[in-house]
Parts: sequence; structure tokens; C-alpha cells
Amino acid sequence: MTKFYIDGKEVTAHKGETILEVARREGIYIPTMCYISKVSPIASCRLCVVEVKGVDGFVLSCQTPPTEGIEVFTNSPELFQHRQNIMKLYNVNHPLECGVCDKSGECELQNKTLEFGVQSQEFSAKEQYRPIRNWGKIQYDPSLCIMCERCVSTCNEAIGDDAIELKFGGYSSEIVPKGSDVLECSECGECIAVCPVGALISTDFKYSSNAWELQQIPATCSHCSAGCNLFYEVKQESHFDNTPRIYRVKNDIEHVSLCGAGRFGFDFANSDTFGDFETAVSKLREAKTILFSSHITNEEIEILNQIAKTTGAKLVNPEARKFQQFLKAFATTSGETLYNGTLEDIENSNQIIVIGTKIATDNPAVRYAITRAYKKHRAYISYLHPVFDSTLQNTIKQFINYEVGTEEGVIALLADTLITNSNLDLDIGYLSGETNIGEEELETISKIGKRAKNRTLIVGSDLITHEKSENIAKYIGLIQKNSNVKVVIVPPDTNSLGVALFGNLADEVQAPTVGYNIEGDYTIASIGKCDFSVPALNQQEGTFVNIDKKVVKTNVAVPYRGKNLNDLANAILDNPKRWTIDYTSELFGVEFDELQDVEIVSKMYRVSGDVDEVEELPSFDGAVVYNSNPFLQFNPWTAKAIEEKPYLLGAKQFAIANKLSDGDMVRFEIDGEIFIREFKIDNSLKGVIALNPIFDKGLRSYKLLSKYRFQRVQIEKVKSNGRS
Amino acid sequence: MGTKVFFSTWRDEKIDNRGKKFEEWEESAYNLPLQYTSSQNSKAFIGWEGVALFSDDVDVVRLATEYASQYQKYSEACGRCAPGRWGGRILYDLLDKIARGEGEFSDLEHLKEVSKTMMETSKCEIGKTVPVPLLDLMENFSEEFETLIKEKRPSKDYYHDIDYIAKVTAPCMDACPAHVDIPAYIEGVRDLRFDDSLEATRQTMPLAHTCGRVCPHPCEDACRRDNLDEPISIMELKRIGADYETDHGLGFIHPATPKPKIGKKVAVIGAGPAGLTGAYYLALEGIDVDVFEALPVLGGEVAVGVPQYRMPIEKYNKDIEAVKSLGVNFYTNYWVDADKMREFEKKYDAILIATGTRISKKIYAENERPEIQGYWGAIDFLDKINLYEKYGIKITEEEQKKNGLTTDYVDLTGKTLVCVGGGFTSMDVVRCAVRANAKKVIMLYRRDEKTIIRNTSYEEYHEAVEEGVDFRFYSAVEEIIDENNVLKKLKVNKFEQKPNPDGGRPKLVKIEGADYEIEADYLIPAVSQSADLSFLPPEWEIELTSWKTIKTNGRDYMTSRKGIFAAGDAEYGPMTIVNAVGQAKRAASVISRYVQTGEITLTDEEIMEDHLRSLKVYNKNEPIRGWLGGLKREVSEKLPVNERIDNNREVNLGFTQEEAISEAERCMRCYYIAMVAK
Repeated sequence: MTKFYIDGKEVTAHKGETILEVARREGIYIPTMCYISKVSPIASCRLCVVEVKGVDGFVLSCQTPPTEGIEVFTNSPELFQHRQNIMKLYNVNHPLECGVCDKSGECELQNKTLEFGVQSQEFSAKEQYRPIRNWGKIQYDPSLCIMCERCVSTCNEAIGDDAIELKFGGYSSEIVPKGSDVLECSECGECIAVCPVGALISTDFKYSSNAWELQQIPATCSHCSAGCNLFYEVKQESHFDNTPRIYRVKNDIEHVSLCGAGRFGFDFANSDTFGDFETAVSKLREAKTILFSSHITNEEIEILNQIAKTTGAKLVNPEARKFQQFLKAFATTSGETLYNGTLEDIENSNQIIVIGTKIATDNPAVRYAITRAYKKHRAYISYLHPVFDSTLQNTIKQFINYEVGTEEGVIALLADTLITNSNLDLDIGYLSGETNIGEEELETISKIGKRAKNRTLIVGSDLITHEKSENIAKYIGLIQKNSNVKVVIVPPDTNSLGVALFGNLADEVQAPTVGYNIEGDYTIASIGKCDFSVPALNQQEGTFVNIDKKVVKTNVAVPYRGKNLNDLANAILDNPKRWTIDYTSELFGVEFDELQDVEIVSKMYRVSGDVDEVEELPSFDGAVVYNSNPFLQFNPWTAKAIEEKPYLLGAKQFAIANKLSDGDMVRFEIDGEIFIREFKIDNSLKGVIALNPIFDKGLRSYKLLSKYRFQRVQIEKVKSNGRS
Repeated sequence: MGTKVFFSTWRDEKIDNRGKKFEEWEESAYNLPLQYTSSQNSKAFIGWEGVALFSDDVDVVRLATEYASQYQKYSEACGRCAPGRWGGRILYDLLDKIARGEGEFSDLEHLKEVSKTMMETSKCEIGKTVPVPLLDLMENFSEEFETLIKEKRPSKDYYHDIDYIAKVTAPCMDACPAHVDIPAYIEGVRDLRFDDSLEATRQTMPLAHTCGRVCPHPCEDACRRDNLDEPISIMELKRIGADYETDHGLGFIHPATPKPKIGKKVAVIGAGPAGLTGAYYLALEGIDVDVFEALPVLGGEVAVGVPQYRMPIEKYNKDIEAVKSLGVNFYTNYWVDADKMREFEKKYDAILIATGTRISKKIYAENERPEIQGYWGAIDFLDKINLYEKYGIKITEEEQKKNGLTTDYVDLTGKTLVCVGGGFTSMDVVRCAVRANAKKVIMLYRRDEKTIIRNTSYEEYHEAVEEGVDFRFYSAVEEIIDENNVLKKLKVNKFEQKPNPDGGRPKLVKIEGADYEIEADYLIPAVSQSADLSFLPPEWEIELTSWKTIKTNGRDYMTSRKGIFAAGDAEYGPMTIVNAVGQAKRAASVISRYVQTGEITLTDEEIMEDHLRSLKVYNKNEPIRGWLGGLKREVSEKLPVNERIDNNREVNLGFTQEEAISEAERCMRCYYIAMVAK
């Protein structure tokens, strides 16, 4: 703790805090242009210089930690003049065509130019020819760029793509794709979000609206369990059509990093109104089973609970049920109902172990937290998976390639490694041999762990959907209970955790069934052709429970002109409610409008279970595919919002093993679902497991979510690419 | 010293000889580059601390314009802060406007205003200091500027061809014998772009792992941050980039794409730091390189001299692999003799000798005979330990017998070892002896604690003390006492330090009656080493220095025989790794031109580098502006004594990320730009 003074006010800095951070915390204004709190100080704009009594010259507040007792002054005529001069320099040759710039009205250059009263430009430099670059979803105009480097730092430090860099050139510097002519990245669009001017913009949004015409609707992204906070920006379709439409998605750049699906995959509002209300009501009444997916709000879960209670139907959600049972088994050995880690814990870790997930696409927010842990703390990251993910190469230090299907053995070995004096009676030799994990690899984890202050284990859905998930969960429970390792079990779908917590789930399916956002005998859905249409999640208000176990709210971005689940329920239940969010208080004891900072607290139990011995581990021979989606895709809604062709991706090795060439059309079947895909060789992949996306499968993809993601398949070549 | 100048504002001086006769010119106190090369003089020198004119006919407006233009060129390699990026451009545009005869009086005002903001708010010292000499010129030669504006005419040399040679430097870069771009690699750490950091290091320093761990870091003695609080921990920040490359299996990051083969061949004798460095930069130039190493392993003294706990061989091997990755051929167990040298001279376009100094010097005690069992030269002692610990190479029975051992590795259980030294090698000896389980380890040193710290490092000395080494200062062995050629005792003299009446180093005076004896099993002389140059063909008559190393001019590293070059300890005498790297880098540059043209040349960059080195970039009296002092230097965690004393685990755990970033943020980026007008 360092006590010092800013503009005469006594303030205190925590360890590692800079003068600027303390000033911001205390509500004292210091102008900045390049600073953004989620990355390390960039120090390019120099606007944040301050005076310190007794110190000759000006001190850069963004990267200087205070020393005891110093007196900082954030403003003086001289500081104002330098800042004004910097703004004059920033304006040198910056095109004054704000009228046609997307950023106008929310441009930080505009704001600061006005703030420092730059009325005229007394000097200039020679003009240069600077063509606009088109990078797919992103467009870059170097002549508008002020070289603050926010985009570069964010891409590198907050996301981890490290896909763009500064091409040094002084006055002709520009941002370029790193080590490549084309931009190859995860298309998160954070570079657009953090750009203070109109240099980096969304190609889709370009010229579609002035910033000030858009209405911001705070909401929660519905694509994965991260539940990121975002803003849908809405205005009418056109002068002739008053229907509201989402024009773009924005985020609080200081605290949230969105992925591309969140940012660009917003256009999934349902405009269909299929089906007859009365029929839908009677189908619901008659249903013996109501099937539903976790693409749902907590309030809707509660509505389904009540319908089921009234009609006697069973509620079935196979994916969330697995998760629920996983948590239940976990609780028997951990003594707690929930895992104890959060994204923040991941971010603050010195050691991270990831197992059973392709995390970069399964849950980008977790990946970003891993990136930040690596960047901030140089966390030692061990990534255990049968498929290497080159996206993470610059972050992970240890890749442990275990055999498909042996997750139970892997987790037992991990428990033995992470728990000091574990007393687990394991046949290490056998497990090590079958899983293909070397003892020295585990020793490294253990050695790193001894020096790591904060440790996190991230568990993905491969373990939840595993045949031996119950025993696996118990081992994870042991780790949480008996080590200093925090555990994060990544909920497989948007609100899997909410469903697991609040859903009165059953296992058995009895006809007739009604499916809610999943296929049933009668299907009610917010997407595509179905028996009865309901609003999509950006047309609803309600809450989710996100990966951090926090209850997060979402709001209606655009209206839906049909009926919703609450309307259906009101026709069935004795006690109708006007709004879906009238159920919020039943769940959380507080009205929707008042709800904030609600967190689901783990219940404590006495430890009641013990792990079972790991018996024979399975082996997977032949062609194996892994169900996993590309960066921008999660579900039918992202598939609707972002057009993308699905490919079966495999390494050269996979192609050789299965006698395939790039471009071949192949056919295979997983659990009755037929896939006909173009095969593509992906040189960043290794090994003999191919990646099979499922986002294009509509509501049928939900059947696969509860299945183990590695599947043996028979690959049949249906059409050669013609080259071979 | 002193330089005859017409006008100088360099550093703190103010010399104005206008109106005086040449003979009456007042001299500058600084070693300014008046003589650019032996055959060519300079007309002016301009830099971060002022300007010096060596003749009365310098076009000062053009000089100012060119300096601004050089900065503009530099900032094209940077451009990372708003004032520097645009300010530099405007300075140049405005000065050029005046110089070509189109200036207005308001331009002078704008120049001053932009200069002021640059000086106060730029990110690096280069942006802060470029306006310094420009303002000096505008103030002292205002008439020249004003006349051009008034008469709307170009300056007198505006359309003449004049060579202006500029060089970017920094106090730390200047002090580093390898001239590593230190601010750049620190910036890479600060920006969390470790690949950029390593790339910056490798421009002049291929051994990033090594010099990120065991460099004695002369740069830190020239760190400007010391003028404010404490120097940056420069050395340790270097290994972060190297570790990043290794940890993530990213493949080797080279400073440039290797050039296509040019069909020239160079032999390098010795695979130590100098040999590796020479090979690396020659290979980058597209030259085929064969490296011949007498030892069974690569790496020279860093491999067989520097112990594992200080320099893990896995890490050093990464540095070596980086050299190998460029296609350099290595031959181990390859003893080069005079015949081979004759053969190589015919076969190769040039030879670089980098054989180091591998003969332990005597301590000049009575009865000092190598045949006494227990008298064991430091180099051989460390060879045996390191070859076993790092490569599993065992000691032959014959060698065991010679050194009184009963195991095939060095086991000193129950033994007392005395080392005579005071430098890094002796530190390695005593700390290795501790790890070899010696009963007692004594270091005898002729001078005091302060000197031993200066000769080695604070950390090294304190770690040895922590490990239980008994340091005895002001002590020297007078006589070695043996029984049947087996070491028994040492007779030791004690000294005291008396001030030298003539000034200079204090004198050591023996204290009468203070002699004492130490019972010892081993005496390891580690005072210094000399070069074994027996492989040089005598008829080549290669010139040697008075201390029997190969003589070169210290700039191009060619020996007295054409085409034969020498670098590293074999040239300089026992010195540091970074010194060997710096010499070999320069030698490789000279050789790469020599093999194509047959000429020995230095680039302007290298000539300027030498000029600046003799001028000395670091000014320890300079007050610091624009930085808050009192921020402590980070110290990395070390393995506790009980965890390290009986094994070879790396003692220095390196910076945590938080420490590294906070240390990197202390760097003031003291880049400067210097320019000579020819």
C-alpha cells in the first residue's frame, strides 16, 4: 500500500497499481487515448502525463506506480498546452470527413480534439497514399489510424490470437496482419471494438447507421455458457419500415472481450410465426415428455417445471441431465454442489490445467482468461487433449496428448498428481501406458504446482459426456476438496448450469413428446420451420446462470410478434403470469428489475462418496471424428446469423489413413445422424482425429450435445474432388 | 584527449571559436569523432547532447535538416508515440522548408513549439533529445536561419552532395560489447511480445539463453536509470524471449531470413561463444561454415566451464541449436594442428580462430608442480565436473588416479579444497566443490570483498557465501607442501592494503608473522588462463600481444596474416562471454565482406559504433527528467540454499511475469541518435 496525493486528495495505491489506475478508481480524470484497462499500458499517446512535485519534467501516469507521499497534479496550463499540442499532432493529416465515418459521434479523436480546443491546424505533413485493407469481417483504413496500438495489444494480450502487429514506419506506420499477407485470426472483432477512431470497422456495419441513432440494449450473449455482457444496438429497419433491427453488437471494452459469434452472430431473431396456439397448448397438455435444450432462460425452465407439474409430464434434457449428474457425483467427494473456480480465478492463475475440451471454440471467454493468465502471470498451461489446438500454441507450454476414451484414467492420474499424499491406489504403470501420459509429464505438472500460488483445473464436456462420467466427476471432486487447485467445470451449453440447478429433470422419454428448442414429436422452437414458433433469446427477457455461477440478465432487443412459452403456460397453469420475468422472483426471491449481483452459492455437504477403481480403459481404433465447431459457430442460431460452410477438417495424417484427398465429399453417420461433408486438409492439425462441426444440423445438433464427442465412424467417400 | 573544434555545445561545454584564428581555437574536452577514418576527417558531429563543428564552413541549416531527417528515418523504424511520430516528421518538413528557401518566420516558432512538446512528452529519449542540438543551432546560428527566410534562398550546401552518417545508440547498447539493442528487447517484454524481444536480441547476440543467465552485464553499469534510482536488471530480461521460444516449440526466431548461399566457405576453430557467434552471423550471410571443436561437446567454456546450476545445458543447447538450424556444420573431437591450419587456409576463404584460453595459469607459489597429486588446474577440474554432470562423460581410471579420485566422477567427500582466484572461474570451482560434497571449501583471494564482487557479481559472491564457501581475503599461497608428490598443506601469507602514494590501486603489503598453514587435499589455481596457440603454423609468424594472445587491431579482428581472423578470449585474453560474442559478431561482418571482395572494411555503422564507444554514450552525471525515481529494481527468486546445495538445479529461477513487466516498465528507452557530416 502506497499513500500519495492526487490533486491534493490523499489516495492509496495497491501493489502493482499505477498512478492512472488509482486516479480512475478515485474518480479523478486524466485524459488518455491509448489506454485500455484490460491490457498492459501501451504508452503511445502520452496524453496521461502528469506533474509530480519535485520531479523534473512530466511523468507518464499510465505505467508509473506511485511512490510513498508523492504529490501528483493532473492538470496545469503547461500540461494542457502539451496535451493540446499532442492533439494537434494527432490531427495532422487526419481526414476531416467525419460525415462519412462510422465512428463519428463516438470517436475519441473527435472528443479529445474538442476537449483540448484544437480549433485549427497550423502544421501538416506530406500526404501519402494509403489504401484501405479489407480483412473479411474487418476493414482497416490506415489514413484514419492514429497508431494507438490498442488493437494490437488487445489481440495479443486479451484474446491471444496475436494476429496483427505494427508495421514500423514512423509517419507511415500501419497495422498489418502478423507474419502474413492476409488476416488469419479467430475473427473476434475486438480490434474493431477497441479502436478509438474509425480505422478498424465492421465491414457489415459500414455506412449502415450513425452511432447516435442506435439504441443500446444491454443483454447477455446467448451462444455459450460464458454469458458475456453485451449491447445490442438497435434502430428501425429503414425510413419506410419501422421494424426494429439489431445493427451491431458492442461491448464494454474495458472489462469484456467478446468472441466473433457474440459480436457478429446477432441476427438470429425469429420472424416466423408457425403453428396454431391452441394446438400447441393441447400438445403440451398431452405430452408425456417435454424435451428441451439448454438454450433457454431460467424463467423458461421454471415455466416448464410448472407445466410438467400440472400435466404430469416428465422434463427431459439429456445434455443438462448429464451435467446435473456430473455435479451430483462431484458433490459426493468434494462436499460442495458446485465447482469453486471462476473466470477471474483462471485469469489470476500461475498454473492452469485444461482437460477434455477444445476450449478456444467451446468457450472463448475461458480461452481469453487463459490468455490473460499467461500474459499477466506467465501461467504454466498444460493442455490435455487427444487433439492439439494450434490456436493455443503461443500460450500453452505443455501439450499432453492422451488416448481417446481414456479420460477416466487421465483424471485419476491428475488427481494423484494434484493432491499431495493422495493415497489413491492407482496402477500408475497401467494408466500411464493406456492413457499415453508419461510420468515425467505429470511430474512437470506437480513441480510447477509447488511454486504456483494460484492453480486452476478447467474441465470440459468430454468428461461430462463420458461413459464413466460419474467416476470422473468424483475424482474432480477429490481434487477440489483436497488440493489448492480451483476447479472450473465448463457448462456445455448456454444455460446448462441453470437447467442443472433448477430443472426437475427425468431420464426416460415417453411418447408423445413436445420438444422446446429441440426436436420432439411436436416441436416448439425459436428457429426455422417447426410446429410452433416462439421468440429467440435476443427477443426475450430473463436470466441465465453463467460459468461464473452468476445470474445474468438479458433483455428484449427486438420484439417478437407471436406467442412465447409464458403465453402457452398461461393457458395451462392455474396461476397465470403476465410476463416471463414474473418467474424471476420465484427463482431468486427478487424481481427481475431489481436483480443484480446474484450468485449461486455452493451448498456444503458431508463427503459421502469415494472414487471407484479405474478399470479397463477403452481404446478407439479406426477413423475417429471429434464434434467441434469453428470459431464463429455454436448452434443453429449462430448458423443462422453467420453463413458458414461446414467442413470435415483433418490433418494430412488423417487423409492418408482414410485415403482421402482435400476436397473429397465424404459421408458418415453418428448416432443416426448422417453427415455429408466436404473434407479439407488442415495443416495446423496433427494426428488421426478429424474435426466435425455440428452447428449446421439445426435442432438435431442437440441430440449430439449429450454424446461423447469423439466418435468412431465409417467414412465413405461419396465424391472425389476430381483431382485424385 | 581533447578535440580541436570550431564550435561545440557538447554535453556541458560551450565553445565558440567564431572570429578566432585556427591556432587559437579552444579545444573540446571530449573525444569527438573529428577523424572519421584514418583517411578522412569529419566536418561536424551532432547528437543528443549538442553539436560540434570541426570547421568554419559547415552549412548549419542543412546540418539541422539532415539530423531531423535522420531522426525521421529512425522513427520509421519506430513511430510508437504520437509526439515522436508526427513531431519528427514536422521538424523535418519545417527545417527542410527553411533550408530550401521557402521558410517563414512562423516556421521557427512552430519548430520551437513542436520541439518543446517532443522534449517533454516523447516516449523515448531519442524523441526527447533530437530537438536539443536543433534548438542549439537555431539559437546560436539564428542569423543563418533568418537570412534564408528573409532572402528566400536555399542554404549553401542544400544542393551539394555531403555524406551524413547517423547511428542510433543508447548508453547500455554502447557499453555492451555485443551492442545488443537492449531497449528493444526490453520493450518486447514490456509489450508482452516475447518473439519481438528475442528477435531484437538475436540481431547481435545469438546466445540469448546464455547471456540472459550468465552475462556479467557491463550494460547495467551504464544504465541511465542508475542516475535516478537503480539500474534496470537488463540481463535477466533477456532470457524471457529465449525461454518463450523454447517453451512453446515455436521454431527458431532469427533476426533476418538467411541469405541464399554465396558459395564461400569459412572455417571456425572452436565452438565456444565466439565460434558459435561467428558461425551464426556468417551463416546468415549465406556463407558455408564448418566449425571444428577439440572437445567431444559443443559450447566451449560455457559448456565445460560454467556449471549446470548457473547455466543449464538444455538451455545452452537451444542457443547452439539455433546456430545449427542455419546449416552450420560442426565437427567435435577435432583437434586442429598446424598442418590442418595450413590445409584449411587453402580449402577455406577465411578462418576464424576462436579457441579461447584453456590453460590455467600458475599462482607462482613455491614448489608449484603440476605433477603433485591434488594440484589441479581450474579448467581441467571444471571440465571433468561438467562433462560428467551435463553429458555423463566419465573420468578415466588414469585421470582418476592422477587427481586422487576413486570414482568416475568428481566426488570430494571428506576432502578440503582450496581455490586461489577471485574471478568467475574460481567462483564456479568453489561452488562446484560444494556440490561435489567437499568437507571444506576455501577461497583465497589477494584483495578484498569489494573487489571480488566487482570482478564477479554481487549475486555470485553472496550465493557462494550462503553455500558455505570460506572466503579468505588478502591471502595468497606462498608454498605448496607435499609428501611424495601428494598435496598435504599450503603455506599462506596474509596481506594488508596500503594506499598507493603515487595514486592508483592500493598496494598489498605482507603482514609479517601472520603466515599460517591450511591442510588441503586439493589446490585449484583459478587466477587466470592463457591461450594454447601451438596450432598456429610457426612460419605464419602470427603476431601476438604481450600477454600471448593473438593480436588484431580490435576493430576488424584480422590477424597479421591475411584471411586469418581471431575473436574471443584467444584474441582478448580471458574475458566475458559477451565480449567474445561482440568480437565474433564484428569479425563475421568483416569476413562476410572479405570473402567476397578481398578487402578489409568496416561499415559506417561499425565505424560510428567505435567512435561512440570512445566518446562514451553514458553520462553518469546527467540528471534525469520526466521519470519518477525511487522505484526499486526487481530481484528474481533464487533457489533456497538447502534446495540447491547438493544438486545442479538452476539457482536463479528468473523473473516472474509481474517482476519482468515491472522491471521492463522502468526502462527509460534512452535511445539517442548521433550523426557525423563528412
